[in-house]
Amino acid sequence: MDPVILAAEECDLTQPVCAPENVSELFVFDTTLWNTPITRTIFLFFLAALIVIGLVYFAYRKPALIRSKFQTAIDAITGFVRDEVSIGIIGPEGIKYYPYLLSIFMFILVGNLFEVTPLINFPITSRMAIPGFLAILTYLIFVIVGFAKNGFSYLGDIVWPSSVPVAMRPLVGLIEFVSYFAIRPFSLAVRLLANMVAGHVMLTLLLVTGWVFMTAFGEVSIAKQGAGVLWFGLGLGIFVFEILVAVLQAYIFTLLSAVYIQTSVHPEH
Amino acid sequence: MDAVLAVVNAAVVLAQEAGGITGSLNVVGYGLAAIGPGIGVGIVAGNAVQAMARQPEVAGMLRTTMFLGIAFTEALALIGFVLFFLG
Repeated sequence: MDPVILAAEECDLTQPVCAPENVSELFVFDTTLWNTPITRTIFLFFLAALIVIGLVYFAYRKPALIRSKFQTAIDAITGFVRDEVSIGIIGPEGIKYYPYLLSIFMFILVGNLFEVTPLINFPITSRMAIPGFLAILTYLIFVIVGFAKNGFSYLGDIVWPSSVPVAMRPLVGLIEFVSYFAIRPFSLAVRLLANMVAGHVMLTLLLVTGWVFMTAFGEVSIAKQGAGVLWFGLGLGIFVFEILVAVLQAYIFTLLSAVYIQTSVHPEH
Repeated sequence: MDAVLAVVNAAVVLAQEAGGITGSLNVVGYGLAAIGPGIGVGIVAGNAVQAMARQPEVAGMLRTTMFLGIAFTEALALIGFVLFFLG
């Protein structure tokens, strides 16, 4: 009977489950820079980037009026991001931000869907570096666009909003300032991260519990095997839910990025 | 504030010694934090469904705005989830 190995440093092969003794061990980071090893996350990160580049490249290599099935599928994704998100939210000049929005949508979609692909089962967006960096990119874009298009009146309109009665302007201005420059990138990153971490932890617990109940500890009894099948079945149900959450979180990240860029391009709304 | 913390800590310790209940305050904190966003998401989605029933031709725009509202209200529940691991 092989033990189930769960992300631990070293393994005691006589126990049924080999797990790190503390769940925060999953969140440690290595502080050396030049000795950074190639971890599973790094490898999957580059794989996701290659998949996104490959999909878009092979779909638009030979543009034709009658699209093949694969081209229609990729057209659905790119057309959706362009019509609903870029131009729909930002307006006609949203086409300038369309490459960025399409890139993050497809990358986060592929990264989230790694949670449900059979041999990988690990969403790369559950490590804070990736959603954190994408949120920082969106933050830089909407701050720089805000100042480039509106000058210093961008900051003035945030801390001294003109659509609020004068007595409340300092308070609302402070809330708006903290919201724009601190809460937005943080919540953007944490929303994606926590959804993916929660889904991954839930899937791991349910499937491993079911598996251990079904195969470990030697004895076979109807209660134990039955409980194992139940937990495993619930895990498979959550699998389907994870596909929905993956697509939804990619869409929400892109939608919110477009909304933040829209409030920088058109601050009067 | 210190008095409230002391009382809560004493209650947790008493429960652990008396009934053999183990665990931490993280879980209780996350559970309390999830009440508000749960009600909030329900209100957003319910109003969106009502609005879509009143005027089906703008259902697309309503769906987009509903997702936006759900994302904002769910952010606090997810911050609570992250703090569960940090506590």
